[in-house]
Amino acid sequence: MSAQPNTLQKSKAKASKAPLKVVSDQTPAEASQAADLSKIAPELSGMLRVLTCGSVDDGKSTLIGRLLWDATDLYDDQRETLQRGKTVDGGNPDFSLLMDGLVAEREQGITIDIAWRYFDTATRRFVVIDSPGHEQYTRNMASGASHADVAILLVDARHGIKTQTRRHAAILDLVGVKRVILIVNKMDLVDWSESTFRKIEADFETFSWRFGFWEAKAIPTAAVSGDNVARASENMPWYPGPTLLEHLESLPSRVTEPTGPFRFPVQTVLRSSRNDFRGLAGTVSGGSVRVGETVVDALSKRSAKVLRIATMNGDLEQASQGQAVAIQLDADIDVARGAVLSKADVRPVVARVLETRMVWLSETPYDPRGSYLLRTATDLTPVSNLKIRALLDLDTLETHPSDACSANDIAIGDIALGRPAAIDTFGEAPETGSFMLVDAITGASIAGGVVTTAKSEAAAADENTFVLTRAMLERGLNSDIRDKPQSEAEFRRRANEVALILRAAGINVEIESAPDYSI
Amino acid sequence: MTQPISHLDLLEAESIHIFREAAAQFRKPVLLYSIGKDSTVLLHLARKAFWPAKLPFPVLHIDTGWKFRDMITFRDKTARDFGLDLIVHTNEDGAAKGINPIDYAPSVYTDVMKTVPLKQALDKYAFDAAFGGARRDEEASRAKERVFSFRAEGHRWDPRRQRPEMWRLLNGRLGAGETVRVFPLSNWTERDVWRYILREKLDVVPLYFAAERPTVLRNGQILMRDDDRLTLKPGEEVVNRRVRFRTLGCYPLTAAVESDAADIESVVAETLGARTSERQGRLIDHDQAGAMEKKKQEGYF
Ligand SMILES: Nc1nc2c(ncn2[C@@H]2O[C@H](COP(=O)(O)OP(=O)(O)O)[C@@H](O)[C@H]2O)c(=O)[nH]1
Ligand SMILES: [Mg+2]
Repeated sequence: MSAQPNTLQKSKAKASKAPLKVVSDQTPAEASQAADLSKIAPELSGMLRVLTCGSVDDGKSTLIGRLLWDATDLYDDQRETLQRGKTVDGGNPDFSLLMDGLVAEREQGITIDIAWRYFDTATRRFVVIDSPGHEQYTRNMASGASHADVAILLVDARHGIKTQTRRHAAILDLVGVKRVILIVNKMDLVDWSESTFRKIEADFETFSWRFGFWEAKAIPTAAVSGDNVARASENMPWYPGPTLLEHLESLPSRVTEPTGPFRFPVQTVLRSSRNDFRGLAGTVSGGSVRVGETVVDALSKRSAKVLRIATMNGDLEQASQGQAVAIQLDADIDVARGAVLSKADVRPVVARVLETRMVWLSETPYDPRGSYLLRTATDLTPVSNLKIRALLDLDTLETHPSDACSANDIAIGDIALGRPAAIDTFGEAPETGSFMLVDAITGASIAGGVVTTAKSEAAAADENTFVLTRAMLERGLNSDIRDKPQSEAEFRRRANEVALILRAAGINVEIESAPDYSI
Repeated sequence: MTQPISHLDLLEAESIHIFREAAAQFRKPVLLYSIGKDSTVLLHLARKAFWPAKLPFPVLHIDTGWKFRDMITFRDKTARDFGLDLIVHTNEDGAAKGINPIDYAPSVYTDVMKTVPLKQALDKYAFDAAFGGARRDEEASRAKERVFSFRAEGHRWDPRRQRPEMWRLLNGRLGAGETVRVFPLSNWTERDVWRYILREKLDVVPLYFAAERPTVLRNGQILMRDDDRLTLKPGEEVVNRRVRFRTLGCYPLTAAVESDAADIESVVAETLGARTSERQGRLIDHDQAGAMEKKKQEGYF
């Protein structure tokens, strides 16, 4: 057999630099005595997702690699692989190889797509997302940014703030990141100069005030040598603040307390003959709900009481933000996928028109006659009209009127929906106020965005708009699924497809909404 | 008033959410079941996602004919216990040609007995989505993968053209000829998987626990001689050693570790204290640099 001989199983650590927090090698004897679950495998009480971003070559991958090297319990074989590999300035290993895992990335020495890494401290899981700096890979950076609680924005001390730095800051703001760490890196190449650092810090402040960041902390580092990464720098005694690691550890974990109004986007309906169960499956995306409370489906305006909150581990009294459950109602109000349950007083908007901010991710530019679908929490709605209004100028950070939009642009646009959908503004309920714009033909994700205003009035009536009525659809196309379980979801899916075909033929289409059950 | 939500609770909820999104968006999904610890957790989460309803999709095992015998026993018992719709598929053509993990290079063997039959089965049953238990912490190219990982015609992965995936929104709209691999365990680590197995009291294949087993030492790795198809080379001898496995696969390609961890608590303790990554025990990954990425481009999970 031709397997390559490789390192032995029980190789011992011989890393020259001892990691700060090594998980000790437990002997099996010790281990079998420690039968207490909470001691052997304590669950961590918090999670923090950290993104790196900034322009290409400013040192993002190296910084994260260095952080993992110094501060986490990397496996020995990972350390050895890195030590055997090529070295960079000063004879240090190339830490970026811990992040840049694709063959093309290693060959070209660049980051193409985001990499996800995980490490734990005593109480917390850190999720690190390393993103590419190239403008051409902005879609990947935006993907990463939308998952982050805090962003590390890197700047090369020699070059200062670049257009790409501003673009990334604008995307962070758009996707809702509130905490930023400005890393001024490669301080070794500017003689550890305090004035250079202060100047970049001030430059950042002059443009970042317009974004909604709660906190922006500036730290001078040298990623290759590890200065101020996990170890305080001796080269910069003028900097009194925390290292990157210390600062990260001081930040609050991702919020697990319920915030905002109760929202429950329905993913699917679960049925079981056992106890006649009909449960609405979904994840609570905001607030919380208790058994006995009245909930409303915004679209049909019908309401019912929560009878059970079911999980395989037993019923719950209450379900809060982030929990995946199945809700059984006391009345069968025929709620399907795409519905959003809320409480009666604070409902999502039954939206027809949305004002939005979005980042254009596709290489295909905006086409006013294109066929687009809007993916929101669990709904997919045909777009009857998408109108670009303005683009963000990345040098001045002002918006300028525009009716064109192409790859990597940050745009303001209005979306008219082919039928109403339950939608919030991003500021109020982020998960039901964000969307992906989808190309109906290729399925590609074209743009990602947030809703700034959701309106329930239809766009100004256009005499050329063709209304697909329910009667029309029921007669032939959907006659086979009337009264079948889950029929409304399938009904809508077929209506969407018809609308898309008509739209491709140049006809503006609206789909008549489901009957309104309100009294 | 809410109970504190631990990181495992967050991971569990995320995985359930992914299962439900995929089941709602794809026409005909299937769960790829490879019998190991990740598949065990994957299956458990799938059951949670649809409980009290039955799994709305079948479970597929690609059998190379070289799995440990204990794995097959465990697979069949699991299918019976949970009432699974189990499909077992083998590349009969490859088996007839005698492609085996002992005489053939791991890359050839993996392609013929794992990648090809996987594609055969997906095409045969016209599955448009397949759930897999891959985790981003396993390997450098996996660390780059999306939760909904699109495959072009012929099941090819193009790492340079992955779909953006923002917030919790999962866009499963397929283009012509596309299929998708879905990874609900994307954000789990090896340690999380064990912690969760312990917490949820899940049964796993006994091979994960230390026992006296007939082994041979080859290329510095301990291999278990699960049957006499593993012929001895000159100078090799079968020695009973107390060993267990960190990952499970085809027995001639899966290295054992010497260990006394004979129950789940000690295995978890040992894993949490491990100094080497689990991939060390998988001989196929060391074949060439970027091996996993290449296999994935060709349609491997
Ligand atoms: N001198 C010096 N070089 C650095 C530092 N950080 C990164 N580099 C180098 O800058 C280059 C780009 O680094 P990389 O991490 O790939 O940048 P990325 O594109 O932002 O991920 C590499 O050659 C690194 O070795 C630093 O603090 N000092
Ligand atoms: Mg990089």
